[in-house]
Amino acid sequence: MSQYETLNTEQHGHLRIRTGYGKALGDGIMYVMTYPMEFRDIQNCYPILFAKDPNTGGFYAAALLGFEPDQNLFLKDDGWDANYVPTLVQRQPFLIGTGGEGDDRPPVVSVDLDHPRVSQDEGEALFNDDGEPSEFLNQKIALLDQLHRGLQHGAGFIDALLQHELLEQITLDLAFNDGSKQALEGLYCIAEERLYQLRGDVLESLNQAGYLQPVFMAVASLSRTRDLIERRNRLRP
Amino acid sequence: MKDSVQRIVIVGGGSAGWLSAGVIAAEHRIDPQAERPFEVLLIESPDVPTIGVGEGTWPSMRSTLQRIGLAETDFLRECDASFKQGTFFRNWLTGDGDTYCHPFTIPVDFAETNIAPHWLALADAPPYADAVTPQSALFADCLAPKQITTPEYAFVVNYGYHLDAGKFAELLRKHCTGKLGVNHVKANVSQVNAADNGDIRSVTTDRAGEIEGDLFIDCTGTKCLLLGEHFQVPFQSQQGYLFNDTALAVQVPYADADQPIQSCTHSTAQPSGWIWDIGLPTRRGTGHVYSSAHISDDEAAGQLLAYIRDVAGDDAAADAAPRKIRFEPGYRQEFWHRNCVAIGMSSGFIEPLEASALVMIELAAGMIADQLPATREVMDIVARRYNRKFLRHWSQIIEFLKLHYVLSARADSPYWQENHSAASIPDKLREQLAVWRYRSPWHQDAEAVDDLFPVPSYQYILYGMGFRTAARPTRSHQQDQRQRRAAELFRKNAERAAQLQQALPGNRELLDKVREFGFQKL
Repeated sequence: MSQYETLNTEQHGHLRIRTGYGKALGDGIMYVMTYPMEFRDIQNCYPILFAKDPNTGGFYAAALLGFEPDQNLFLKDDGWDANYVPTLVQRQPFLIGTGGEGDDRPPVVSVDLDHPRVSQDEGEALFNDDGEPSEFLNQKIALLDQLHRGLQHGAGFIDALLQHELLEQITLDLAFNDGSKQALEGLYCIAEERLYQLRGDVLESLNQAGYLQPVFMAVASLSRTRDLIERRNRLRP
Repeated sequence: MKDSVQRIVIVGGGSAGWLSAGVIAAEHRIDPQAERPFEVLLIESPDVPTIGVGEGTWPSMRSTLQRIGLAETDFLRECDASFKQGTFFRNWLTGDGDTYCHPFTIPVDFAETNIAPHWLALADAPPYADAVTPQSALFADCLAPKQITTPEYAFVVNYGYHLDAGKFAELLRKHCTGKLGVNHVKANVSQVNAADNGDIRSVTTDRAGEIEGDLFIDCTGTKCLLLGEHFQVPFQSQQGYLFNDTALAVQVPYADADQPIQSCTHSTAQPSGWIWDIGLPTRRGTGHVYSSAHISDDEAAGQLLAYIRDVAGDDAAADAAPRKIRFEPGYRQEFWHRNCVAIGMSSGFIEPLEASALVMIELAAGMIADQLPATREVMDIVARRYNRKFLRHWSQIIEFLKLHYVLSARADSPYWQENHSAASIPDKLREQLAVWRYRSPWHQDAEAVDDLFPVPSYQYILYGMGFRTAARPTRSHQQDQRQRRAAELFRKNAERAAQLQQALPGNRELLDKVREFGFQKL
């Protein structure tokens, strides 16, 4: 379970954050949420697919990291084996949201006290002795700020995809070198045939919203599935 | 084209009128810009309230709504609808608290395997429905047939709906007039005008003048203004087979707003009829349908109130003011005569056991939409085919409903005793029962591929009500393989049931989520 508190010097002045990557740090995950502004970096390493939130049925974009629950094929003994780590992983154990009321609500940073990265005595300090945010925290805040802008920009992305019927169901039929087979279901991808039939005005509106490039990035990203299969083959030859 | 059928005039609103309008207009796009546009026009009396009969549907309603172009989320939200996965019968066999289920999901591997004889051979057999489908295991905990991540109209286990009939007609009206181009005329029909050839040329209305048409659809309810009053097509009573002719209907509030919503229609047999109980998100709809020859209205009302007291408490019973509906069970001698076809209660009505009213409307509207005669010249051929098909449907309704009464072992009242009299049992049903004593019904027992009640439904009623089919005296060469296969199917079904009990949310929980988030289209 998660236990989020709004980050402040009084309560959290003593907290430290464990860095690096590993199963014990909560990184043993099969997929992680992503957003259109990040697709260009994500597609270089991971397949981008769409899944449904089991609580709402709503779609979200996700970078695929493995083929089984808790399987992250990018985790190695010495860290995360990819040249880009998704923002939603990097941001742990923090969360950014909007607090208070009114139109001009400032973003608020929270910390998950139950997250395995949170420690009393190990890792990077959040605050200096004078109570000011540490360099480490400032970097995280910059990252969260970027995430916040990314989420705001991507808020209409799924609706736009649905409006133009650009999502379709996909079953990943996987065959591994050890002879085992697997069908990964419940996933969706960009409907390419529909995409190539879009009219000029629709393409223009998608482009103006900043959604056209991410759509093509998501299409391209599916080639990354081969790399994941290779990783899985090396795991169990 | 000479005599082309361009203008469909539907007389009467309600579920029958608006469903017909929706299905026909969805299939035949109305283009006002066309030189001679195809038109669907519905005349609805502003003075006659709809009877609001039929609050339970079959799974077929999912495809009908999809065909009309309604989003399932809008339908569920606007019609106060809930999911119906079948019927739960109580007290039908002995009256001592006996129960059984008729779920919408067909028995496992039905296409390849007739599992019934294997079930009959089991020593400690679970109830038939529990043994052959995972669905009935969901009923006790009021579980839903799908999850919020399941796309609209798709399912984990098969389902139809319970709905508010008044709100349903209203949603259909909005959709038909707003999206499908159906022309809505609010007026009373005062006169039916004949053409020289004996067809209906037009109807005269009190505030919209004379309205001409090529095909008239009579959705005027039991009044049957066009087919009955104008064409004098006789009504054929079926009361000799099915005695019920009166219903007392009443809406019952939930004790608290979070009370679970039942997964199926509950049908509880009474001394001279039975009580229905359906759960909507906002209320339950209950009613007692009975034979007025066997019980007085007061006594029937007393039994209904006792039931309500039992399931919903003293306050609910004290507030209940049942509405009485009289009907004559039966149907017209033909349904399509000349250029007029009756749909809904104008074509016939049988008690609501097994909820056949709405599905018959869907089938009628679907056939008219699919087979719409291009010209008057071919209309009589289509009409003959239509009449043959629907006569078959109506007689099957009589036979299948009667099956429930015939199999009952109740003899605690003249009503149940008379239900066993030979004269009250249709010949075909008697023959079926004779044959099934020695062989379980399977594919060859279907009369046509589009039988209204498919063979699995017969199996659920027969074996739910303790009917025994004797073991065959001969063995097949594949007997051993078949037995192994059946054992495997029973085991897998039990596994699947346990799995679904874990995975599926409650009806109320899912409906709340639909209200908040809606279903995705894919």
